[in-house]
Amino acid sequence: MIDRSRIGFRTVPTTVRVDAWRVKLFCQAIGETDPVYFDEAVARAAGHPACPLPPTFLKAIEGEHFSSAAMLDLLAVPLRGVLHAEQAFRHIAPAYVGDPVEVSRTISDIFDKKNGALTFVVVDTDYRVEARPVASSRQTILIRNAAAA
Amino acid sequence: MTEIAFPNELALSSGPIAAVELALFAASSGDHNPLHLDADVARAAGFDRPVVHGMLTMACVARLFTREFGAGCIRSLETRFTGAAMRGDTLQISASRVGVEDGVARYDLRAHTAAGVELVTGHASIAAPFMPRRPTA
Repeated sequence: MIDRSRIGFRTVPTTVRVDAWRVKLFCQAIGETDPVYFDEAVARAAGHPACPLPPTFLKAIEGEHFSSAAMLDLLAVPLRGVLHAEQAFRHIAPAYVGDPVEVSRTISDIFDKKNGALTFVVVDTDYRVEARPVASSRQTILIRNAAAA
Repeated sequence: MTEIAFPNELALSSGPIAAVELALFAASSGDHNPLHLDADVARAAGFDRPVVHGMLTMACVARLFTREFGAGCIRSLETRFTGAAMRGDTLQISASRVGVEDGVARYDLRAHTAAGVELVTGHASIAAPFMPRRPTA
């Protein structure tokens, strides 16, 4: 039984600076060939102050702040039997390579389905740049309790 | 400001997701779970081959929209991971427009492998790309 008292746990915000090289590797991994994401001259010519981040890249810097694995460790859940069930992003303003992104994560909910065979953990993440929100995300983690036991 | 044309249907196919893409994704995303990299670990978990990161598939889903409408066009993107792609699979992603309101188009989306295994279902809200951020004085 996962400790429900952790609902509402919120990490202390920390700042992660987005590295150009990492975004370039990310683009190579996902088959993104548009140079606006990794060639600063192209980005500036298109009117951007720097290369914009691919829309789901912000998830990648969470590990530098407080990873989902660390979140599950906090809940004393072994990684075996854990699945990433759902992921959502809301984009509020652009974010760029070089931005100092302030990240904070909150355990928003923990609930069971199928008479406790499955437990879902919902983690919300806020991303801010210069004290203004740029995006938020919601990760839903599925724990198959039989597999975890 | 010009109205954006939102096509009724969008589609994108990835190339086969090879070991190098999985390794690059692990490095850039920080998700080093060996399920995505090590064939033995994948087999022990019941998969024939290493499993493609769900977030890699989701990044390709996002690309379907940014390729069409430009960087900064996504207002929201929601995916449910319903199945697993494996190393060597291609991702076939499609979206259907279900509505447009106040300049924001809503799409239902889906991804599957060439063999028809469903990977992702979800929704996206798409609008004109964000105006670039101006330096704060």
